[in-house]
Amino acid sequence: MLFDRRGLLARAGMILASEIAAPLARALAAEAAPGFSATEVQFTPDQRALVSAVSERIIPTTDTPGAIAAGVPAFIEMMLADSYAPGDRDDFMNKLGMVEGYARIRYAKAFVALSPDEQDQVLTLAMQGGISMLGEEFFVHCRQLVVLGYYTSEIGCKQERVYLPVPGRYDGKYPYADVRRVFAL
Amino acid sequence: MTNNDFDAIVIGSGISGGWAAKELCEKNMKVLMLDRGRMVEHGTDYITEGKGPWELAYRGNLPAAEVDRDHVMSKWGGAGQTSQTHFFNNDRLNPIDFENSKPFRWVRPNQVGGKSLIWGRVALRWSHIDFEANKRDGNGIAWPIDYQELAPWYSYVEKFAGIAGSKEGLPQLPDGEFQRPHPMNAAELWVKERLEKAVPGRKLISTRTANMTEDKPEQGRTRCQDRNMCGRGCSFGAYFSTQAVTLPAARKTGNLTLMSDQVVTNLEYDPATKRVTGVRVVDANTKLAHVYRSRIVFLCASAMASNQILLNSRLPGSDRSFADSSGVLGHYIMDHCFRTNVWGTVQDPALEPLIAYGRRPNGVYIPRFRNLNGQDPDADFVRGYGMQGAAERAPAEPVGFGAAMKEAMRKYGPWIIKFTAFAECLPYKDNTLSLNPNKLDRFGVPLAVFNVTFRDNEMKMMRDAALQGEAMLKAAGLVDVASDNEEHVPGDAIHEMGGACMGEDPRASVVNRWSQAHDAANLFVTDGSQMASTSCVNPSMTFMALTARAADHAVKLAKAGAI
Repeated sequence: MLFDRRGLLARAGMILASEIAAPLARALAAEAAPGFSATEVQFTPDQRALVSAVSERIIPTTDTPGAIAAGVPAFIEMMLADSYAPGDRDDFMNKLGMVEGYARIRYAKAFVALSPDEQDQVLTLAMQGGISMLGEEFFVHCRQLVVLGYYTSEIGCKQERVYLPVPGRYDGKYPYADVRRVFAL
Repeated sequence: MTNNDFDAIVIGSGISGGWAAKELCEKNMKVLMLDRGRMVEHGTDYITEGKGPWELAYRGNLPAAEVDRDHVMSKWGGAGQTSQTHFFNNDRLNPIDFENSKPFRWVRPNQVGGKSLIWGRVALRWSHIDFEANKRDGNGIAWPIDYQELAPWYSYVEKFAGIAGSKEGLPQLPDGEFQRPHPMNAAELWVKERLEKAVPGRKLISTRTANMTEDKPEQGRTRCQDRNMCGRGCSFGAYFSTQAVTLPAARKTGNLTLMSDQVVTNLEYDPATKRVTGVRVVDANTKLAHVYRSRIVFLCASAMASNQILLNSRLPGSDRSFADSSGVLGHYIMDHCFRTNVWGTVQDPALEPLIAYGRRPNGVYIPRFRNLNGQDPDADFVRGYGMQGAAERAPAEPVGFGAAMKEAMRKYGPWIIKFTAFAECLPYKDNTLSLNPNKLDRFGVPLAVFNVTFRDNEMKMMRDAALQGEAMLKAAGLVDVASDNEEHVPGDAIHEMGGACMGEDPRASVVNRWSQAHDAANLFVTDGSQMASTSCVNPSMTFMALTARAADHAVKLAKAGAI
């Protein structure tokens, strides 16, 4: 198939369907600076809770399970630990810390202790570039990690999308109305 | 025969080696097939087959550090995908060298079956235009065979391999023995109808592919299930691979001995009889050397590896290869030039309700349309290019976040059709593979040194492909039409060819019209290294046809006592 040759980026692109954030692109396309060696990164419990809360607001539980049930926080931890260049990893963690810092200043509470509405307000501000020192691209990067982790998970593939392990045929004129979902890759 | 271990030794078990083993075994030769890679058995060793993304290591993406360490070249063939990393070479352990830092991407497999497990499966015939090209425009070595000579051998290998395609009656892309084609999707049919009307002579067809659309129960093979996971191996045997097709046939004869992990370092040669007398191997695990002897040798190690082996096969007391009396061994290294892309959006409300069910193993193809009847007046280059593509709908992009984003991502984006041009590369004598006598690999073989560049003619074709591609998509009524160019690096198309080119004149070519070495009557070189030009179409079917034909000829010569 045409797009196979393109390898990782093409496949991630099909899932993300947008321009990929540079650190994630580097991790996927293997153009990290030579000398990068994977090390075990462990989130602190607070960081893990923060990543979980952010992930779940980006892809919440609706009529199908959300990001936490799909294991997205563990996926993000794995990507940061095993695939990210150290500089990109530190940058991501620092910026995540700025989101937490904003929550504590604005609401005098940890992000995880906010109501879902308050959490959404913080994320909306991050998305609009309204948190000082935190560019809009951090939210986009964060969302890409969540989207990639969710739609490659078993829940994402089988419950949110429709997974056909052995389609048995190709129909290039299939009515969307018959499925009303996206077929998992 | 008394001193021989086997009637024939086949070096390499990929697309060409598999065919050589099958044909020789079926003609009752005792055959030893050697491969440098590890053993992979059909089905049981396809360790990632059928797995979902969540079941793959790192969700399918090999960490950057590991790719950079071990797969700097093989990543261009897909080694960075953990679904198939195990089918690729470790480039760190198998280094190559470059002259003047000119880049080359040598994407190598590392298993029995070679690249037949991971190939793109595009199954096209060369045409008379391709075989006449060198003679016509004076580049490279004139082919000593024509299309008519190879046509029955194409038929022979196509029938057995199982090729899906449509008959089109095109002189530049001859029809073959086809099973019914894989279907085109709604957007591709939409483009086909308008393109063929708007641009006379332009064709858009289902890509001819070695993925079957009909069962072959006599071979224990089932038609394609539209999983598009071919590169992991296919237990259905739906696509042509050594494991699914030629190896079972060779084994069935009882005449085959297959040895994995055997790195061929060189061939031994007797100048008095002008024969190859032995095949020297180093066991990849024990590092022990051994020489196997046979009456006939088929060299099918892959185009570049066969060059390396031949160059490392010296005349006694000389640093010259026995196979290089012509002085052109290792010259005329070629690969298709590609990575010029054109795309556009199909905007028609009638297509909006339609999506694709299943994952087809092929796409669509635009056969060559340039310089078909002599030189086009507006072409500033010789020869031509074809275009491989597909129309797809990607899932809708994420917008915002939360429940609304999740709901919106249950829809698809627009139908986008995208093509990549594959251009013929001219045979340049000074595009070479040589050896570095000062750097040996872990098996004691001098490193292959690449000195290969694309030139003016290739670059002009890439530019023309972008211009013609955009113009035709606009003419067909697509919107948001655009093109781009990525770096064009030789080897990247994984269609590397040449170096032991076929030709009539022993003073100017390495093998004769039967793929038989001019300098050794019992040596046949039947992989991509024998190619004297590249055409613009994918080469694997031609390797198969030439290999089957050479095996037939070799056995006839052996039976007549001529070799």
